[in-house]
Amino acid sequence: MRIIIAGAGAVGFHLAELLSKENQDTVLIDMDEEVLSHANDHLDVMTIRGDAASISILEEADVASASIFLAVTTSEKTNMLLTILAKQMGAKKTIARITSPEYLKPKEKERFMHLGIDEMISPTQIAAEEILRLLERASFTDLFEFEGGKFSIVGISLDTNCPLNNKRIAQVEAEVENFSFRGIALLRNGDTIIPSADTLLLKGDHLYLATQNKYLDQVRRFVGKTLQPINNIMIIGGTNLALTTAKLLEDKHNITVVMEDKRTAKHFVEEIDRGMVIKAAPGNIDALKEEGLGSMDAFIALTPDSEINILTSLTAEHLGVYKTIALVDNVNYTHISQNIGIDTIINKKLIAANSIFRFVRKGKVEAVASLHGVDAEIIEFIIHKKNRLLKHQLKDLHFPKHSIIAGVIRGEDSFIPDGEFTFHIDDKVIILVLADAINQVEEIFK
Amino acid sequence: MINFRVVLNVVGVLLIILGGFMFATVAATSLYGTEDSFALIQSALICLLVGVLIWSTTRSSNKNIGKREGYLIVASGWLFVALFSSLPYLLSGRIPEFSSAIFESASGLTTTGATVFFDIESLPPVILLWRSLTQWIGGMGIIVLTIAIFPLLGIGGVELFVAEATGPTSDKIHPRIKETAKRLWMIYVGLTTLLTIILYFVGMTFFDAVNHALTTMATGGFSTKNDSMMHYSSAAIQYPIIFFMFLSGINYTVIYYSLIGNFKKVWQSDEFKTYVFLVASLIFAVTVVVYQVTELPLEESFRSVAFQIISIITTTGFVSADYTAWTPALTMLFFTLFSIGACGGSTSGGIKIIRHLVFFKNSVLEFKRLLHPRGMIRIKIDKQIVSPRILTHILVFLLLYLIIFIISSIVMSIVFSDFEQPFVTAIGSVATSLGNVGPAIGELGPMDNFAKVPVFGKWFLVFLMFLGRLELFTILILFTPYFWKTN
Repeated sequence: MRIIIAGAGAVGFHLAELLSKENQDTVLIDMDEEVLSHANDHLDVMTIRGDAASISILEEADVASASIFLAVTTSEKTNMLLTILAKQMGAKKTIARITSPEYLKPKEKERFMHLGIDEMISPTQIAAEEILRLLERASFTDLFEFEGGKFSIVGISLDTNCPLNNKRIAQVEAEVENFSFRGIALLRNGDTIIPSADTLLLKGDHLYLATQNKYLDQVRRFVGKTLQPINNIMIIGGTNLALTTAKLLEDKHNITVVMEDKRTAKHFVEEIDRGMVIKAAPGNIDALKEEGLGSMDAFIALTPDSEINILTSLTAEHLGVYKTIALVDNVNYTHISQNIGIDTIINKKLIAANSIFRFVRKGKVEAVASLHGVDAEIIEFIIHKKNRLLKHQLKDLHFPKHSIIAGVIRGEDSFIPDGEFTFHIDDKVIILVLADAINQVEEIFK
Repeated sequence: MINFRVVLNVVGVLLIILGGFMFATVAATSLYGTEDSFALIQSALICLLVGVLIWSTTRSSNKNIGKREGYLIVASGWLFVALFSSLPYLLSGRIPEFSSAIFESASGLTTTGATVFFDIESLPPVILLWRSLTQWIGGMGIIVLTIAIFPLLGIGGVELFVAEATGPTSDKIHPRIKETAKRLWMIYVGLTTLLTIILYFVGMTFFDAVNHALTTMATGGFSTKNDSMMHYSSAAIQYPIIFFMFLSGINYTVIYYSLIGNFKKVWQSDEFKTYVFLVASLIFAVTVVVYQVTELPLEESFRSVAFQIISIITTTGFVSADYTAWTPALTMLFFTLFSIGACGGSTSGGIKIIRHLVFFKNSVLEFKRLLHPRGMIRIKIDKQIVSPRILTHILVFLLLYLIIFIISSIVMSIVFSDFEQPFVTAIGSVATSLGNVGPAIGELGPMDNFAKVPVFGKWFLVFLMFLGRLELFTILILFTPYFWKTN
């Protein structure tokens, strides 16, 4: 499949990385020579230097034979123009990255489809929705729902007084009585481990669990996390993401938004009906304390500056804020920030790239999710007719070592399968796969 | 830290491929008798055994190939392949001496074409085909072949490709490196087959046609005849060889674009245009001279000159006439041509026209810069600005090439001190080895043979051949302290 990506920024580069690892024919267009030579050295993609909005560059990239055209430059208008041009020149499917939430409204979709923009993706909107979901399940660090909430994968960090510390997986599973869950991945010192029955859980580990949604409360109690209602939320940063998040949260929560720039603050006041807008430097801890940081239930740091986000979140954590979320766009900080105590790290660009990647793979798989800091993906497959998986019990199927089945959804039911389990046609299988085994697993479900 | 496991793993795969080629040689020549076939089978088994052993003991999930691993894989890969390619000569006893056997296999793989055999026609077909095949494998490059057919080199394949391919920059003709490598090899195989058929129909025996097609496309120059191409004096055989030698000197990217009908890309290539212009004007000028100083009729002078010029500039090294017998000035000209080379991204050796082009354009622009100190004067190739990084790289390459040539000439003058013309022979042998041409001047001219080179001289020339084929940096970088430091 020939896929053309216009814009080699963080989103474009990450997408190119995901796609080239999938062995797609990927072409990356950008003006910046350095970014492109970096891509050339590290990824198996073709790079073209030039303005993607120029017809000759699009011709050179052979847009006519492209299955998918992705416009992910930082400029919304450029992206829209690019997708329109690409569609006219013969690209089969076009996806544009946009920022204005207005364009995303369902009734506008047809208008843009007509122009030649098949899908529009707003990283800001997606990230804001992600924050909302994280707050709803605040005791977990990550949350992925499958099939409209029938099945979930959640992340927990094993802190000092967690009852799971120093137990083996088999021991833990033996203690469980009337509900079921499975540990599917363990993040320890930056390494991803697929746990087996005798893996020992240690303090500081980050554990990902698969379970049915109806058991989420039991799982929470079992792992020693408390559920606390979230009322007071402080958001710092005058960014678009902060505004979108604030608007999503203001109906049900008391929000305080802190930013430095006066004009931005004024804009926020116009947009937000309930909630406080504070004009102060987000890095000024004293000011944050004065505005009641200590009595907040949640603290969300969304400034463009990763360092400020990490430091203020740590301070909030220290002051006893129940849930802290930090926007960290610098990928290098992801591991370390989670290790030193911030509840949840979000990366807007990775979220955006992953959600675009999901569109690209539509049809081949049902859904994908990438866990933060884990070199693995959770993929949902459907078992088709004539698949050899139907004939044997699970223990005889020889799945690749670097993969684990998290759960199976059958109609309205969901299971966590054991060795005796056999698949049925149309079962939806949720499976966690380390990056190097993805092709193998896709082959099995083909 | 350098990941030696992955380096050895790839080397194992290379040896397995090499063993496969040896078996193919035995199978292909089985109709022509089985003399020395056993030596080839033994060599193949040794390659497969060692290859499988190395490959299976170094398998690991960590297939990360960084820059260091890339250079090390290509350099050590070529070294191992050259070592094991000499087995057929040693085991058959055709070349009993180790240094000469290595010289023959290195000369083959690097497509140099200098030989230590006196009586080539007395060799059995299996050895002859193996000689030709080593050139053919080395021409497009065994690493590129590995990338094309094995999935093991995934992401790091790009680094390997760049380290092995010729020319200062490498263009991808397909988004994926594996597909690019596959297309290059398909063109290579296709053109070789086409040339075989043509040569067969114009009068060569099928066996000779295959051998000459293999070594022509590789710009190698091994022949199955003692007199090289002088054996085939007919115009019907020489013109196809001339044409295909010329083709082999063209950048494969350009050939690819012309095959898919994208002629705009072809005419956009400044290097291609320079190559055509240079070859045409050289042939014209030299023909005039040769027509005057020899008794040959015009057509024969033209054919003889075209053959020699194209053979030397593409670094093939076939000879259909003794160019050192024309005039001293022409001998000097041919000596100069040893280092020119054809286009980057072709199977030819030498410095490559693209580097000369950049050098000359830049030198001319330097004068313009002197007159316009405030001017933004940038050198453009193919309508694109050459980045300062690439410009420096090319200038450094040229200077290194010159320095290596001078130092090596001094070394070889000492080696040849017993010869009648030590100096001329030394600079000739160095230029021809570094440029992967084949015949030299002086006492190692087109009519002579490298068997008389002393043992140390042979090893030294082998080293120069590798330097030339892998374009200096891939080998020299291993001798820098930075390469072995962890940071």
